Amino acid sequence: MNRAVITDNLGYLLAGAWPDGPVGGLMLTLILSVESGLASAMLGLVLGIALAMSHGRTRRALTLGLGLFRAVPIVMLIFWSYFLLPILFGVSVPETGTVVTALSLVGGAYLAYAVAAGIESIGRGQWEAGLALGFGRWQVLRYLILPRALLAMAPSFVNQWTALIKDTALAYVVGVPELSFVATQVNNRAMVYPAEIFLFVGAVYGCLCLLVDRLAALLARQRRRPRAGRA
Amino acid sequence: MSLFGDLLAPRYLIWLLQGFGVTLALSAAVCVAGTGLGLALCCLRETGGRLAGAGIAGFVGLVRNTPLLVQLFFWYFGAAALMPAWLTAWLNSPHSLPLGPAALTWPAYETLAGFLGLTLYAAAYIAEECRAGLNGVRPAQREAGLALGLTDLQVYRHIALPQALRIAWLPVVGQYLNAIKNTSLTMTIGLAELSYAAREVETETFLAFQAFGIATLLYVGAVAAVEAAGHAVARRDPAGTARR
Repeated sequence: MNRAVITDNLGYLLAGAWPDGPVGGLMLTLILSVESGLASAMLGLVLGIALAMSHGRTRRALTLGLGLFRAVPIVMLIFWSYFLLPILFGVSVPETGTVVTALSLVGGAYLAYAVAAGIESIGRGQWEAGLALGFGRWQVLRYLILPRALLAMAPSFVNQWTALIKDTALAYVVGVPELSFVATQVNNRAMVYPAEIFLFVGAVYGCLCLLVDRLAALLARQRRRPRAGRA
Repeated sequence: MSLFGDLLAPRYLIWLLQGFGVTLALSAAVCVAGTGLGLALCCLRETGGRLAGAGIAGFVGLVRNTPLLVQLFFWYFGAAALMPAWLTAWLNSPHSLPLGPAALTWPAYETLAGFLGLTLYAAAYIAEECRAGLNGVRPAQREAGLALGLTDLQVYRHIALPQALRIAWLPVVGQYLNAIKNTSLTMTIGLAELSYAAREVETETFLAFQAFGIATLLYVGAVAAVEAAGHAVARRDPAGTARR
């Protein structure tokens, strides 16, 4: 095992060419995951509510559309947004933008199902009670259903986020200099220690995913504690 | 219509179809090997000692918490450097096994690395789905089996596992769908599957919409077919517990 290949390139692996050039490496991976994480959470919430509140033909169309996004490999979606976005908007979109778009769409499509399931898991009685009190359908959703459904969905959002962190590695295919891409650059330059480089990079991703996981578990426990006290 | 105005020449369609063939063959191999390995890992984790259990839990955690892309790079670039030189040379050189009129040829190194990486990845996920299935079998079932005089292993083999597999079937089908989609990542190590072919066609013809459109449709078709087959199997299950 050769540690020098890691320590010599540590700055490049962590931040890319920054501060002399654009941000890259682990820092860009973090930026990509936060951006696509927030966008996919928002998209998933909107689409999930739409799925839960719609009926008949609208619902079938929505299910089909979401299913399509889940059936296509993310690599394909990245290529699509890479070639489509500039044509649709008539401006050049930076590569990171196309990756965030593709990841948000996939993440949003997966989350929409979790959100819809969370909303539908709240019993009919709650809806009927709200409607009987004179609330409208959307008011019941806003004040009675969502506050509790969101709590039930929280684990899905965390799981989706760790999946997104791993999926940012696919930005490699359009040459975005995130962690995996700079790792291959370092590998191409050093040539002799590929195992060390990719083990290190894998460990960094692993720590990141475990950190998010632990953090979420901690938050969940903290939220549950006062509730248990009240019971 | 202008986007799709120009049709792809037959030559490029053949490239795409060849890539699709590689995608299907690789997916099938990964699903079969991944299921076998996943089941073995799950059973060993349950019945093996504490050391085996901890080792498997560590392996599964490692595989599930790192990007598949990095794993593929590790198997493609890293494993070659860790192996003794003679083994690397042997793996890289062509071999063939004559089988009557035909001959079985040794796959290229990127195919081996891709197959290994994808199989380990799928196996880790399938092992977890099976474990969740085992946890879904009520403890009373095991106790009933033990009370009837069956041994631990017999309870496991005849009572717990069949029910667990029924519970785990649809999630495992979901992992098969992931395996099909994940084969697209092997384009990064130069395996000439569908995404690789689409990229090649695009660079040669500049017809991005045709190349990626056809590739996307082929992926969607393959995923939809496997999903439909998985649900059909679940529906035919006489006990009906797979319907969830």
